[in-house]
Amino acid sequence: MGGQTRKKLMAIMALSAMIGLLMFPILVSIPALAAGGGAPAAGGPPPDVLAEQEGDAVEEGQKVEMGRDVYYKTEGIVSGLPAPKTEDDLRSYPRYNFESRVLLWFANQQHLYYGSFVLAVPIFCMIIEFVGIMSKDKAMSKKYDQLAYDFIKISITAYSITAILGGILIFTFLTLYPAFFGYLSSIFRPVMHIYALLFVAESGTIYIYYYGWDKMKEGLLKWIHLSMSVVLNVIGTTLMMLANSWIGFMMSPAGVDEQGRYLGNIWHVLHTALWNPLNVHRLLGNMAFGGGVVAAYAAYRFLSAKNDEERAHYDWMGYVAMAIGVMFLIPLPFAGYWLMREVYAYRQQMGITLMGGLLAWLFIIQATMIGILFLSSNYYLWQALGRMRGAEKYQRYIKYLVFILVVGFLVFITPHTIVMTPTELKAMGGQQHPVLGAYGVMSAKNGGINVIITTTVLSFIWYMRGNKVPIVPWAKFGDIFMGCFFGLAYLNIIWLAIYGYYIPANVRVGLSVPQVVTTLSCLFFMTALNLTMLKGAKMSGPIEWGKISVRSQYALIMLATAFTWMMGLMGYIRSSVRLFWHVNEIMRDNSPWAYTHTTGFAANMISFNVLFFWFTILFVFWLGTLGVKKVPVEAPAPVPGRVPQPAVGH
Amino acid sequence: MKSLILWAGGIIGGIFLAVIFLMSSGLVSPQMIQLVPGYMPMQVLIELTACVGVFALLSYLLAQNGLAIPKFWQGTLFWVFLLLYLKFRIYPPIPYSVRALYLAVSAVAVFMWVSSNEEDWKQFKQPILNVLDAMTPFHKALRTFYLIAIPALLWGFSYQSFLPSLEEPIELRTVHPAPPATTKVHGRTFVLQTAQNPYRVDLEGKYDQGFTDDLIVEQGMGRLMKPDANPWDPDAKGYLKHVREGGEVFFQNCHFCHGDNLNGRGLHAFAFNPIPANFTDSGTIAQLQETFLFWRVSKGGIGLPRESFPWASTMPRWEEHLTTDEIWKVILFEYWHTGFYPRTWD
Repeated sequence: MGGQTRKKLMAIMALSAMIGLLMFPILVSIPALAAGGGAPAAGGPPPDVLAEQEGDAVEEGQKVEMGRDVYYKTEGIVSGLPAPKTEDDLRSYPRYNFESRVLLWFANQQHLYYGSFVLAVPIFCMIIEFVGIMSKDKAMSKKYDQLAYDFIKISITAYSITAILGGILIFTFLTLYPAFFGYLSSIFRPVMHIYALLFVAESGTIYIYYYGWDKMKEGLLKWIHLSMSVVLNVIGTTLMMLANSWIGFMMSPAGVDEQGRYLGNIWHVLHTALWNPLNVHRLLGNMAFGGGVVAAYAAYRFLSAKNDEERAHYDWMGYVAMAIGVMFLIPLPFAGYWLMREVYAYRQQMGITLMGGLLAWLFIIQATMIGILFLSSNYYLWQALGRMRGAEKYQRYIKYLVFILVVGFLVFITPHTIVMTPTELKAMGGQQHPVLGAYGVMSAKNGGINVIITTTVLSFIWYMRGNKVPIVPWAKFGDIFMGCFFGLAYLNIIWLAIYGYYIPANVRVGLSVPQVVTTLSCLFFMTALNLTMLKGAKMSGPIEWGKISVRSQYALIMLATAFTWMMGLMGYIRSSVRLFWHVNEIMRDNSPWAYTHTTGFAANMISFNVLFFWFTILFVFWLGTLGVKKVPVEAPAPVPGRVPQPAVGH
Repeated sequence: MKSLILWAGGIIGGIFLAVIFLMSSGLVSPQMIQLVPGYMPMQVLIELTACVGVFALLSYLLAQNGLAIPKFWQGTLFWVFLLLYLKFRIYPPIPYSVRALYLAVSAVAVFMWVSSNEEDWKQFKQPILNVLDAMTPFHKALRTFYLIAIPALLWGFSYQSFLPSLEEPIELRTVHPAPPATTKVHGRTFVLQTAQNPYRVDLEGKYDQGFTDDLIVEQGMGRLMKPDANPWDPDAKGYLKHVREGGEVFFQNCHFCHGDNLNGRGLHAFAFNPIPANFTDSGTIAQLQETFLFWRVSKGGIGLPRESFPWASTMPRWEEHLTTDEIWKVILFEYWHTGFYPRTWD
């Protein structure tokens, strides 16, 4: 057995021991869960005790009350009290002299922003640390390692703020919505305890991971250190999934009967109709958001840099963060599409309220924000071509990419419900416009977003080729093949978008699959082909890190702001689609604020949340700069042929 | 040879562009090159793509001959072209809110194009910097002009916006409000998520969406009936017979407003504002479940939910005039005639 293999084995064993220790409290609690969760509502006995009582009751000739699961339609023993019927009084809704909901909205949103950030950054660290370990170039390896360390350092302060905001959120719930929170915690009691235990495990791991960085920087210990980031992310993702189960339950309750009485199966309560799509969507969203925030941090440092060395370092950092963010941004619309599809399948009226009715205009704003994200990413990549000698050959064609992107974008943001004056309505000859009406529905929008994403992939491929000339013998054939592949991909996407108008809706929904496959084929196959073609390619010049336009850095800041704003918006939409329900169709919201805010008010509130987050995160960034060596870790002047390579490894 | 082809392309493209421009500026009829109903969405995109191609070609040819148009004017003129195109070329006119959205995005696109590399960006900025620096008498005069014109223009806009307007205010109307989970018609409760049209059946009388979908009218120009699928054939059975019965109900009750081609332009249509729904548009019944239609037809405008403000629908509560069966049949007819398929969730 080689030394390297032995080291890896040791690392795996040490890691397993650590996982075992961290998971111990949770494993201990599992038997209780297996017995039915031990989570009766409002203080009743747990199901195992209940089962005994049931036996006694049967003996005494009493009837055990059974309930029918509102979602799974299975029978279960009623193990809890019904959802409380609230009144508009101080008992159900204690309040200050303003809208309690706004306070809760603020606390929730801030907690979510920080929570997303601290869940995303360790995933980044894991990827970057791994790339650093695998890098054969010592200087690059060190550079990646330092970058991962910089990331986690920012995350540590943010972690404390997340915990503080979590506390504020719970107090806000307890003091302003006691009846609702009491009900929710009675259903989720075991889940909430596991959540708390996982939080302890997460804290322990993150502190060892951070403070042990220098001690564990060589050989076997480095692998253990990297493995800890895997554990950290497993715990973090599980935490997120548990928190998602609460909102999943509020939107699409399961595991309870029509009165909201718990039926003893905690898995049903967790595994609601929307839980999995929410998990996937949030995980990807967090990653993209984290990438955006770190990229904005790098842009801020770039813009305030005092010398070329700093500029080069933060230019590179911004690029790496943006690349990771965009990597997760690309599948995000597909995850969102899946979530919406499940929403429609769960409740038609919920889907229509979201996308065709009351909240439709918010969705148009959301589409605009998605478009801005992609436009900013593309713009950044085009600007980045400017720091490569030899990239001029691509720059002259950018105008065509702009056109394709913007046409896709315009179709994507065309509203279905148009704002117009009665005069315009008359001039249009009815509510439906023969052009806008077609762009305003899903078939066209699917085409639009896929065109946007495919173009982003193309921009990225151009960027990868910027300063390289392929010298493989089949280079010309490869170029033609790639050109044809992209051309056919565009044709296929557009054709399917048109074809969608001529087929039944259920088939049309399915058409999104070939469209997505087309887009992802461009991403995976063309990137792979490009990388193969660029093996040993002739360099037409180095990447001159730091020599990028300032406009590119503003694009990064724009990207991050758009992410933040969009998260706020989508959170609001997801929450307000329940309309006047705390728990959809189970527990009614009888507070005086059980109405949907106007679009203007919601936009202002979201903007306030975004501003607050950015002010506080700037504070976190500033804390991160305290006690740091002024000059970043060696960023050697670029030498042709040995240029610092971004994380994507081209 | 290459140059000849390019010039020929440039001349043809130039003529095309001139025609589009004349139509866009209202100098000749916007219908000179017809936008064909049903194909308009793609026609507009193709036309715009062709225009961009011609612009690029002409710009290239002019640059080759030492007559390059400065970047600033390229960007500005292209945006103005889009403004005119959206305002005048597309008919019926696009409402201002959407045009503003499109033009704002177009302005961003122009910015992205002209600033995509340093050289272009420098070129684009130069005329602006020239005016600001005012190093020549011409630029000085221009700067003075802007100094007066811009505030005057802003004053004009402000003045206009303060003037009392007689126009009706905008009503944000929810065209398709979310339906309730259930609806009660003639004493029977229907669950909208799961209920099915009882007349969407095959020849054996079993519910069969695929069978009925195959018999609908073909979409496109002319809307042709499928061979051997004529509901007015006296021997028509099952689904087709129900379509005919639905059609009879439609022409006795609905076509006065919704029109004999189901496009919302019936005899009385223009007495209402907004005019009745156009079922041939892909944004109406094609997006909805049959049960949604059942609920809307049964309950009419008066039964619209709260979110459907300002409840701008004068449709009667048809449950008071038609039987449940007649409502289902008329829905069947509407889908048959338009060639659309009702939304399903399998």
